[in-house]
Amino acid sequence: MPQAMSPWPARMDLLQSLSGLLLVLFIWSHMFFESSILLGEDAMYQVSRMFEGEPFFGKPYPLIVSGVGITIFVLVAVHAILALRKFPGNSRQYRLLHQHMGAIRHPDTTLWYAQVATGFCLFFLIPAHLYTVITQPENIGPYASSDRVWSERFWIVYALLLLTVHAHAAIGMYRLFMKWYAPSGVNAKQTRARMKVAMWCILVFFTVLGSASLLTYMRIGYQHTDSVGERYKPATVQDKGH
Amino acid sequence: MQIIYTDVLVIGGGLAGQRAAIGARRRGHEAIVLSLVPAKRSHSAAAQGGMQASLGNCLGASGDNEDIHFADTVRGSDWGADQQVVRMFTHIAPKAIRELSAWGVPWNRVQQGTRDITINGQKQRIEESAAAHGLITARNFGGTEKWRACYVSDGTGHAMLYTMSNQAIAAGIPVHDRREALALIHDGERCCGAIVRNLQNGELLAYVAKATCIATGGFGRIYRVSTNAIINEGMGAAIALETGIAQLGNMEAVQFHPTAIVPAGILVTEGCRGDGGLLLDSAGHRFMPDYEPNKMELASRDVVSRRMEQHIAAGHGVKGRFGEHLWLDIRLLGKTHIERNLREVKEICHYFLGIDPVSDLIPVRPAQHYSMGGVRTDHRGQSPQLRGLFAAGEAACWDIHGFNRLGGNSVAETVVAGMVVGDSMADYCDSAEGALQISTTLIEAFGRREQQRLATIANGGSGENAFELTRLMQDTMTENVGIFRHGDKLKHAVDTLATLQQRATNITLRSSARGANPELVAAYRLQRMLKLAQCTAYGALQRTESRGAHYRADYPQRNDGQWLNRTLASWPEADARLPTLGYEKLDIMAMELPPGWRGYGDKDHIAHPDTDLRQREINAALAELGDNADRYQRQRTLMPFNHLLPAHLRGHNERLGDKT
Amino acid sequence: MNLIATEEGPRTLQISVLRHNPQDTESTPHWQTFELEEAQSMTLFIALNEIRQTMEPSLQFDFVCRAGICGSCGMLVNGRPGLACRTLTRNLPDKITLAPLPGFELIGDLSVNTGKWMRGMSEHLETWIHQHNLEQTDIDRLEERMEPELAEKIYELERCIECGCCIAACGTARMREDFIGAAGLNQIARFRLDPRDERTDADFYTLVGDESGVFGCMTLLGCEDYCPKDLPLAAQIAFLRGRMVAASL
Repeated sequence: MPQAMSPWPARMDLLQSLSGLLLVLFIWSHMFFESSILLGEDAMYQVSRMFEGEPFFGKPYPLIVSGVGITIFVLVAVHAILALRKFPGNSRQYRLLHQHMGAIRHPDTTLWYAQVATGFCLFFLIPAHLYTVITQPENIGPYASSDRVWSERFWIVYALLLLTVHAHAAIGMYRLFMKWYAPSGVNAKQTRARMKVAMWCILVFFTVLGSASLLTYMRIGYQHTDSVGERYKPATVQDKGH
Repeated sequence: MQIIYTDVLVIGGGLAGQRAAIGARRRGHEAIVLSLVPAKRSHSAAAQGGMQASLGNCLGASGDNEDIHFADTVRGSDWGADQQVVRMFTHIAPKAIRELSAWGVPWNRVQQGTRDITINGQKQRIEESAAAHGLITARNFGGTEKWRACYVSDGTGHAMLYTMSNQAIAAGIPVHDRREALALIHDGERCCGAIVRNLQNGELLAYVAKATCIATGGFGRIYRVSTNAIINEGMGAAIALETGIAQLGNMEAVQFHPTAIVPAGILVTEGCRGDGGLLLDSAGHRFMPDYEPNKMELASRDVVSRRMEQHIAAGHGVKGRFGEHLWLDIRLLGKTHIERNLREVKEICHYFLGIDPVSDLIPVRPAQHYSMGGVRTDHRGQSPQLRGLFAAGEAACWDIHGFNRLGGNSVAETVVAGMVVGDSMADYCDSAEGALQISTTLIEAFGRREQQRLATIANGGSGENAFELTRLMQDTMTENVGIFRHGDKLKHAVDTLATLQQRATNITLRSSARGANPELVAAYRLQRMLKLAQCTAYGALQRTESRGAHYRADYPQRNDGQWLNRTLASWPEADARLPTLGYEKLDIMAMELPPGWRGYGDKDHIAHPDTDLRQREINAALAELGDNADRYQRQRTLMPFNHLLPAHLRGHNERLGDKT
Repeated sequence: MNLIATEEGPRTLQISVLRHNPQDTESTPHWQTFELEEAQSMTLFIALNEIRQTMEPSLQFDFVCRAGICGSCGMLVNGRPGLACRTLTRNLPDKITLAPLPGFELIGDLSVNTGKWMRGMSEHLETWIHQHNLEQTDIDRLEERMEPELAEKIYELERCIECGCCIAACGTARMREDFIGAAGLNQIARFRLDPRDERTDADFYTLVGDESGVFGCMTLLGCEDYCPKDLPLAAQIAFLRGRMVAASL
């Protein structure tokens, strides 16, 4: 028997999948919270206050958001570093891989490559997004966010982010299933085909949801061009407070 | 020329060769396996349906033992087999299967409880006992009294070969693949290795060995329509023949398998019929019971093939684009059974015919399948003429098959013979006789001779085309030396082959590609194949009787009076037009089972006067023993064989019903 | 894609073969195109033999059983790995490209040394039953019993014919030469399932618990999709991955 091997390859493989899974679950929840804007500015305001801890502590602590941002950043960093191991490491590997994909035109290999490509983009897009979240956690709200999207032209970043992150996440979930629990038995092919359909449905759903939200933020931001910097005051608070 | 020294050289990497190598290696001898192809690609992998061994576990096998397996095999051989060797074989077969079971073959097992089977076109419910649960099960095969073909779905040979190869790898036995033996090195009395061509770069090298074993399988490719792999060109038997000393036995005994698909000639297993499949004609009529009321579709292969051709000749064949054929119907077995136990069959039908055997009929016609003949050996697997030369498996004529082999007995023979021959070679290497002193001059001389032969082909000739001549040989054999033989056609074949042999010396290569050069390979193999073809055709012409698979329309009776013997072919003069034939008498007075009717096929045969004499002798001996003697004592009285077995293989085989 | 010859008569196939003879120092890889008339039930085995016999006698390729059983004839047919012997030309377009399986040592033209690769894999992974007293097995006695269902499950994995299609179809194997691929991982799954093999998951971890083994697999699924024997490779690798992670924790 050869000598004992390091347990780390196993752990890293698991960690890569787990971090990916957490990030996907995060991004999907994120989409629901973010799209609260579709239900109105008040709803989005409540959601953002909730994440600043107001319902629990009586007043908002934007640093909580920074904390979450940093956690996500760490997760993304871990996930990216682990994933990088699997990317073509040199030009020879890159060439061989392209040759292979060009000849075989195999859907699932192409899906993986889509993850590589989107992952590479996300490597730049996510930090750009997280930087503002971490450094300006208080600037999340119906007007603050919309101003950033429109007046500060962040919609370009978000649009790219939207397309790449959902492709990455949906494909990632399908591949995660195949990696750890591939279907077997007589219906294996059918089950896999269904999983793929589910993957596309999820991808379309979140892209549509995300686009609708983004367009809403853009609309609010556009309408708010003249009063950039003003913070949103929810109707209820306005009535009670002042 | 590079010279490689080893104790044991095994030519052929199939089941027989690798088992022999493992046997020798376990006895402490260095062994090298030579193979045309990677060992796991050998033709053994194509054995589908099963391996005969009288385990007697499942219901259909209950009561089975060596005695019944022996009788089935001898009847199957049409009394052409060496009965002592058949005894050795049937005795070792259960051990072989149990050894393979321990080594990892996933044999199908008995499932206790009731299940439905198909017999004679009808569904029947049977119940397997709890006592047998989990033991190796078996399926029905042609020409057998009991269900005896142990199987792994219909990939039996594949599973066995992979397990065997893995054991050989575990034992550290090197397989030198993509290498081909061109000639045996010998001094006229003793074989001491082979001159070998590397099929990747074309270089020649010499392997010098104390013991050399030929395990290269059959020579089906001398026929146009054959179920054999395309590497089955009989080169092992051919180089033995080319020594001019070693003899080949019963080369005219060629088996045609009833169910090869049309037109590709790919085999679908006998298991199809064993599991209940039927043969139908153009009218959808099940015709076998008309000819063979006892065994029907499950008579021996020679009989079924003959009946099929007879039925086609009578105008009942299905006319198709590729000539006439009949139908194999396994639809009645049901989807579950087919997808579980006949999945290779389903795959072959899907890919090569575009049909699904669950709902469609399979077009079949008999095709060349097996060579009963091969390098004649004694009971320990050694050539009686050339010391140090051994043979095992289909390449050998150890002679358990005589003139017709039973389905499942070949794959069993490979392993059993491998066990025996591995041991024999080890004994030989250990003995004083095995010590080898050889001069490099002799090795060099053989090397130069082969180099010269290759150069002659590569540089000379007068325009003959190797591929074209090969096709002509194959056509000649399929058309004239097939299932139904006749003196006129055989004469024609002998003459045509002689002409082709002459023409084959005038081959001109169109390609001078470096390395293997496939055209050169085709050319030198053709010259050797023609000699094997001639041994077959000439042997068939001379044998003026019908026995087993050798059927002479002009001499339709089995003639024990004149032909109860084994043909021995040799080729002493390299340039001779024909082989030299000799005959080895089969002594009825030493037989445990004297000749009679097989239980299927034609009933009329010309009996030998000794038959009755021997039968009376047997009756008397058994009467003298009394009723208390067990079956071992009775057998020993008639024809002792235990002393012929390797010492470690002499124990009785335990069975479920044994009284302890 | 069902391009069966029409009533108009047989098609003329244009078969382009990627040729190279490493034995010849002057040879460089190049495409050579052959034209031949399609016959009924023609397979690539028949087509290639016809090309060799009538047009290009030096053309190298490997066929053994020509029945899809032995695994010798894996090659890239129009870029995709498959068994040439059972590929019917009627299922292919007029223009066919044939290239040797990548990932293996090239012997010449379409012939590659899959056998050497597979033997290396077997030696590395020790693909045989490990039992301490195997040589002492008493073969006169009744065999060890096994559940019928388990025997069938083992055979399901034993059906691999080592054709190399899974390796050629695998992007990981293309990038990493030491990757044992689905062929190797399937062997581990097979012996892990077999109660006759005494090795534990910890033992198997030492064989496949790294980037050249199960953790190198990126789930590209080329193996699963191009296995000519339809082996459940993805499921086996997924299962093995789980067991190996469990063994490491």
